[in-house]
Amino acid sequence: MNASNPQTEIVRIAGVTKRFPGVLALDRINVAFAAGEVHAVIGENGAGKSTLMNILAGDLQPNDGQIFIDGAPSVIATPLVSRAHGITVVYQELALCPTLSIAENIMMPDMAARSVATFVPRDQMRREARAALARLGMDHLDPDTKVGRLSVAEAQLVEIARAIRQKARLLVLDEPNSALSTRESEKLFEIVRQLRADGVAVIYVSHHLDEVLDLADRITVMRDGRTIETMINDNVSQDRLIRAMVGRDLGSARPWTLQQNSAAHPVVLTVDDLTAPGLDQVNFTVRAGEILGIGGLPDSGKDRLGDVLFGLIPRSGKVTIDGKELPAAAPSASIRYGMAYVPADRRGAGALLTMSVADNVVSAALKNFSVSGFLRRAQIKREARAQVARLDARISHLGQKLATLSGGNQQKIILGRSLVTNPRLLVLHEPTRGIDVGAKAEIYQILRQIAGEGVAIIMISSEMPELVMNAERVLVMRSGRLSEELRGADVNEEAILARAMAS
Amino acid sequence: MTDTVRTGARAPAMDRFSLPGLLRARETGVFLALVVLCLFLTFATDGFLTSVNLLNVGRQISLLGIMAVGMTFVLISGEVDLSVGSNYALSGLATGMLIIAGWGLVPALCVGLVTGMTIGLINGVLSTYGRLPSLIATLGMLSVVRGSALILTNGQPVTVNVRNGADPGVLEIFSFIGQGYLFGIVPMQLVFFILIAALAWVVLSCTNFGFRVFAVGGSAKAARVSGISINSVKIWAFVLMGALAAFAGILSLAFLPSGQAGRTGLGLELDVIAATIVGGASLSGGEGTILGTILGVLIIGVMRNGLVLMGVNPFVQELMIGLVIIIAVGIDKWSTRRRA
Repeated sequence: MNASNPQTEIVRIAGVTKRFPGVLALDRINVAFAAGEVHAVIGENGAGKSTLMNILAGDLQPNDGQIFIDGAPSVIATPLVSRAHGITVVYQELALCPTLSIAENIMMPDMAARSVATFVPRDQMRREARAALARLGMDHLDPDTKVGRLSVAEAQLVEIARAIRQKARLLVLDEPNSALSTRESEKLFEIVRQLRADGVAVIYVSHHLDEVLDLADRITVMRDGRTIETMINDNVSQDRLIRAMVGRDLGSARPWTLQQNSAAHPVVLTVDDLTAPGLDQVNFTVRAGEILGIGGLPDSGKDRLGDVLFGLIPRSGKVTIDGKELPAAAPSASIRYGMAYVPADRRGAGALLTMSVADNVVSAALKNFSVSGFLRRAQIKREARAQVARLDARISHLGQKLATLSGGNQQKIILGRSLVTNPRLLVLHEPTRGIDVGAKAEIYQILRQIAGEGVAIIMISSEMPELVMNAERVLVMRSGRLSEELRGADVNEEAILARAMAS
Repeated sequence: MTDTVRTGARAPAMDRFSLPGLLRARETGVFLALVVLCLFLTFATDGFLTSVNLLNVGRQISLLGIMAVGMTFVLISGEVDLSVGSNYALSGLATGMLIIAGWGLVPALCVGLVTGMTIGLINGVLSTYGRLPSLIATLGMLSVVRGSALILTNGQPVTVNVRNGADPGVLEIFSFIGQGYLFGIVPMQLVFFILIAALAWVVLSCTNFGFRVFAVGGSAKAARVSGISINSVKIWAFVLMGALAAFAGILSLAFLPSGQAGRTGLGLELDVIAATIVGGASLSGGEGTILGTILGVLIIGVMRNGLVLMGVNPFVQELMIGLVIIIAVGIDKWSTRRRA
């Protein structure tokens, strides 16, 4: 299905580099997008796909390198400049205004292009919005409905309808169908093919390899901020794509011997038929001293598992710790039964950033550190000092505000906080997100040590190397369900990725 | 293709045409509350339902209403302006002093309005390019402007009359603006309020600028990726607010016809914000209508008037106005959560 006729290049990205503090997000990227092609961009989480799309959208500026549009060197300084070049981006996280109607959202770019001192052509807006919706087979939606009342899938379709209306020359679809049903996705693909026939360059960013192989003319694989290769979609297999995405020396992937045979240890957590929004009859167990890895794509349901287990999201099914059943939707009870939870969103949900190291360490077990409501400062200091030493957190003093610590040290303090309650089970969601390589290794070391003390650990992570390196067993989630487990030598990135993307 | 998980509930799309949909509109609730209040006062008092009293209510609410119209723009754009009471004092007093100094009416009015717009411009620039939350920026401006008025007048009352130096011809027109009646019955203040509200309604619901105000307050990101300049929209909303606060201040001075920098419009900003919010504008931006604001202003005005007619202790009046605000915003929050 590759389009073989000579194509005109619309955008060429040459040697583009983007640095964030402490991270090299894009490293000398080279890729070109041509008129009349569907160009898929794939890669693991953190490969740099979204950063690249944000640069095309004019939201981010590269530190180095050059972008050519229609062969001429260009600077995409703002979103407006991007659109003036005919580039339209459908964002993964929706860019819609919930208080405005569908029609008003779809027509917003048109309104921005008109003079401020004009009247709003309500009837025309409604008519054009209805036409845009009809193209996507969404005739049943009333253009006057407020976008805030729509489901995620409907909002995603509205965003796509808005993008298609703008007659882009280069259309970026960043995970456009993460919330869409099969039927809605089919409609979207049909339109993508139509746009290709009309000579539009479509960049299609997706985790779903089957879709990519079905739709794309060319596929560019990104890894660790680099473009690894661009291939023509001609007899390419999923395995080949996965190998290109993973691309590491697989022999050294499991550097530590999983010494213990935790099958002999008692079961700590049993999950029976756990069902919640995004999770469908999940069953698994974790034993004392074991690190269980849970992987999967962003929309697989794995990102809800931690919240559901801890009781932040209502659930049905049975969750027991040491044989005692946990009440649903009660985080405080979960703590009492021996669970500790470290959520992914460290700055939002995990840490008290404006408070001191010592206060953070004891915040989950204040009762143990107070008498008649008065805090026992000396005892708090002692405990905090012990945890800081145990976790080797680098701080200047115990009164230091958490916000002034590096991400790695913050995460260590949060780990310390969960250990103060002497948990039987530690649930970690993205335990090393945004943490530099050195601190990552230290945190892995600490986690193994905690497991060695008999704590059961669940590590929910998008970073496959992390799962391969640390987990004794790995369960992969897809569409809210768990695959059969990977164990021992079967735990490798290709196997995880293949299960995560299986169709 | 994988099966995907739907996280959002499918919303009924057509319910806005049904009776429950209509009843859920914010204006309907405020309107019903107003009707109930008026019915109650009609039977509870002798003097409420008379043309004299109703026109009197109309005059009393006009200045508040003119400012609330401006505040509607500011709140919808996602900001707030606490400096309007001070602006009202400074712009009005400045205009009065110029008239006393023998200026013509038009130049004096222009200086007053430009003063208000400048204050709005400063508020806007501080809240956008200056990156200050508007709550802080305008809280600062509240004192800056009030202080300027005190310095300008040296704390002395400003009374606009011929004895103090105003030109008799100028004074006559100035007084008519504030105290006169159109066709001998409709207070001029009310005429201005109606004109301004009508114009504002057209701007907010029918023009591209009004659309942008909603877009910017509803989702800054959506507006930005569509190519709308968030800063300029917000600054214009503040400038409009400044002009309307100044105009209300000028009308007030023309009506009384004296004012004092230490007292005029003190705490008025809270009444203005309260009326706008009772009318359905959201402090988090993106929501509000001129019609709702008018109803909010009417509720507060009718309530004050009714409590006076019933001879309620003024201290109790203040308390009841506060309760109305809490209940109105409570209903808003409750219904928002239900919608979410």
